[in-house]
Amino acid sequence: MTDLSIQVRDAGSASVVEPSGFINAHTVRQFEGALETLVQEGRFTILLNCRELNYISSAGLGAIMGLIETVRENKGDILLCNLQENVFAIFDTLGFTQLYRVFPSEEEALASLTEQA
Amino acid sequence: MCPSPAMRMEKSDFRLTIPSQTRYLNLVTGLAKRASQLAGMDDSTAAKVSIAVDEAVTNIIMHAYGGEEDHSVELDLRFTETTLEIHMWHTGVGIRGNQIVLPDPKEYVKHPRKGGLGLLLMSRFMDEVRFSEEKGRSECCMIKNIA
Repeated sequence: MTDLSIQVRDAGSASVVEPSGFINAHTVRQFEGALETLVQEGRFTILLNCRELNYISSAGLGAIMGLIETVRENKGDILLCNLQENVFAIFDTLGFTQLYRVFPSEEEALASLTEQA
Repeated sequence: MCPSPAMRMEKSDFRLTIPSQTRYLNLVTGLAKRASQLAGMDDSTAAKVSIAVDEAVTNIIMHAYGGEEDHSVELDLRFTETTLEIHMWHTGVGIRGNQIVLPDPKEYVKHPRKGGLGLLLMSRFMDEVRFSEEKGRSECCMIKNIA
């Protein structure tokens, strides 16, 4: 089993990034690369669907943090959905749930973007 | 308080030495999670312990050894009646107590930046985190109380 696989797909104005496995210091470059590719392509609204994400360490949080200013400066955002309990605990412990919009499901996250538009 | 490092293994100890390479993080965190469950912790607590171990071992590999892959990290898991102790030793650059600055999450939210989050997770998810040096080796000791 690989430590991390990442699927990226478009959903309207947003790009959905679905990491599966573990984001840690070993896999973070792969995760960071996927996010950076989207930003380079001008895809500034990114939804991280975390339903298959087993855990994310501070290395992965740093990757998200490293891009948040760029996407928001370009009228985009990084949203989160389907966080497993332990992944939510990590985000919440570090105050990330105040920095990012978190949704129970992908549908609700995408609907919020439609309402916003 | 963390006990000083003991060189002999007790019956309830489990010791593992890994190369200073991030490819082994998953192995170590999996072990920490299973050990926590074996000690009687629930799945949620065990997951937090495994994250704290990921952060501690990552700090050793990336900062104490500067990312050099030809060193080793020694882990010693000690089961007591009331705690799980996780001792991690290395011969790289150690952290001294006065070098530890934990970011304030409230300030962090106002002024986000990269870095410093690993130590915060370790301190929030474990009941005790200590750093020490002895005989040319540095130790990070983390203790989780069994509820």
